[in-house]
Amino acid sequence: MSIYVESVLTFTSITCITVCGLYILTGLTGMFSLGQASFMALGAYAAAVLGKLYHWPFIPCLLVGIILSVVTGFLSGYPIMRLRKEYLTLITLCYGEAIIALLNQSNITGGALGMSDIPKHTTLIIAILFLIFGIYFAWCFRHSKFGRMAIAIKSDELASKSMGINMAAVKMRSFLCAAGLAGLAGGLYAFYLQYVDPSLFGWRKSGEWVAWVFFGGVNSLTGSIVATFGLSALSQFFSRFADYQVLIYSAMVLLVLNFKPNGVFGYWELSDLFNTRDRRMQRLLKEAQTREGALKHEQT
Amino acid sequence: MSRLELKHVYLSFGGVKAVQDFSMQAEEGQIIGIIGPNGAGKTTIFNVISGIYTADSGQIFLDGEEITQLAQHRIALKGISRTFQNIRLFHGLNCLENVQTTLDASSKYNLLDAILMTPRRRKEEKRTRQRALSELEWVGLGEYVLENPENLSYGLQRKLEIARALAADPKVLLLDEPAAGLNPKEVQELMKLILRIRDERGITILLIEHRLELVMTVSERIYVQDFGETIAIGTPAEVQNNPEVIKAYLGEEE
Ligand SMILES: Nc1ncnc2c1ncn2[C@@H]1O[C@H](COP(=O)(O)OP(=O)(O)OP(=O)(O)O)[C@@H](O)[C@H]1O
Ligand SMILES: [Mg+2]
Repeated sequence: MSIYVESVLTFTSITCITVCGLYILTGLTGMFSLGQASFMALGAYAAAVLGKLYHWPFIPCLLVGIILSVVTGFLSGYPIMRLRKEYLTLITLCYGEAIIALLNQSNITGGALGMSDIPKHTTLIIAILFLIFGIYFAWCFRHSKFGRMAIAIKSDELASKSMGINMAAVKMRSFLCAAGLAGLAGGLYAFYLQYVDPSLFGWRKSGEWVAWVFFGGVNSLTGSIVATFGLSALSQFFSRFADYQVLIYSAMVLLVLNFKPNGVFGYWELSDLFNTRDRRMQRLLKEAQTREGALKHEQT
Repeated sequence: MSRLELKHVYLSFGGVKAVQDFSMQAEEGQIIGIIGPNGAGKTTIFNVISGIYTADSGQIFLDGEEITQLAQHRIALKGISRTFQNIRLFHGLNCLENVQTTLDASSKYNLLDAILMTPRRRKEEKRTRQRALSELEWVGLGEYVLENPENLSYGLQRKLEIARALAADPKVLLLDEPAAGLNPKEVQELMKLILRIRDERGITILLIEHRLELVMTVSERIYVQDFGETIAIGTPAEVQNNPEVIKAYLGEEE
């Protein structure tokens, strides 16, 4: 595999880990964050500082990056979880830009020049393994009570609360999961590029990722992932026309959303191919028989 | 001690006195009707009980425990469940998941259980899934389990909302115009369902309804509201012959 292709695949896999978090946050819970790139920056800088200056090993650096993102997410999100979802977009934008401004000023991380000579720990294989974890995480989230409660909140906050759902907790959980995954991706990113600077993590990046999720389909994990790989490859291809890149992107996203408001994939998931509705129904009924059998058993 | 008790509840929206000095008591297994012309403040009473709005003054007790100031989801977890006048189901979730979500609110496993697929997660998921399934069967939606709610007829959507509310095993169920938009046959079915909820499960029901044939048949006692005030309380027969009530209703038709 050419080095070029390998680097594109690695970067895309790393970005896709962040997108898995966005699927939880935007896709399932209906919240918008323009600060995902800044959470990635926290993970990246944690990895850079600990890995380069303190010679920490790979995994502990990643863990600290995740924790840093989650804690920052908690502090920035806590005051606003009871407010309307729109406030989150504003707050994450401000927090994100504040973090970037802080990094620009910080001496230990080289200010606007950033840091280079970070050790190389991430390979394509490692990136893919972590991406598989990210996808698995998002999938487990969706197919648990957490996914259902998140969708309920997205669909109808008032009715959710009337069913006993703690809205602030649900929103916070989704927000922190997304922040943590972004932090993880940041660490992997720094250990691959071996270089970080604040300009890599502006809010435009975050906005671009949200657009990908919408393009593929907010309600489909498959769609979000396919869109990430497709559009990010396309953007590499178009990077020669960097000036037009945003224009082409925006046009595509607008076109898709105009004609397919639920994104290219709508509600479709890859797992629908083998986990058909008939099969699910059969499994449900089979399980119900064991339940009723067990009940009769108890009575006799 | 009453199951549900409201004492002198007031709520205004700016100049609109939506609820004025509303008091009521409901015992275990009673069906209480609330009727009145449009804008009388009926839905607002439900919204205050379920915590969407906090009363300006007055108190609300569930089994003697004051719940006036509690957050909306806490009140639900205490045992007050409801349906909505303009159906509010969860889109993006199928019928089974809609009902399961109510159980999820008090289901006991954490995010780590979910990611590691622990036995605890599997057991809880199975429990809530089967409970939701039996709740759907109980209201007669057994064949629509994996259907999306928006594909159901109006009448079935109303039933699904009731199933979702019942999954919480509430002490008190608030039904806000459950017969709105139903045909006469569906109204009959709904009437049977309401009586079954009371008789088989002992749940106290508060019923707001414009279809008088329904409220008058099932209610033990009826509160008549007009412009936020209670203008009559009594059995269906008493209320029907009350001159004030007749005036309020005739006045509405003019
Ligand atoms: N959130 C709100 N903000 C302002 N005014 C409100 C609000 N909710 C209700 N109202 C007003 O309070 C009054 C009572 O409304 P409510 O919805 O309780 O009436 P209702 O008896 O349920 O009527 P209907 O039979 O039409 O459902 C109305 O005048 C309504 O406009
Ligand atoms: Mg109403």
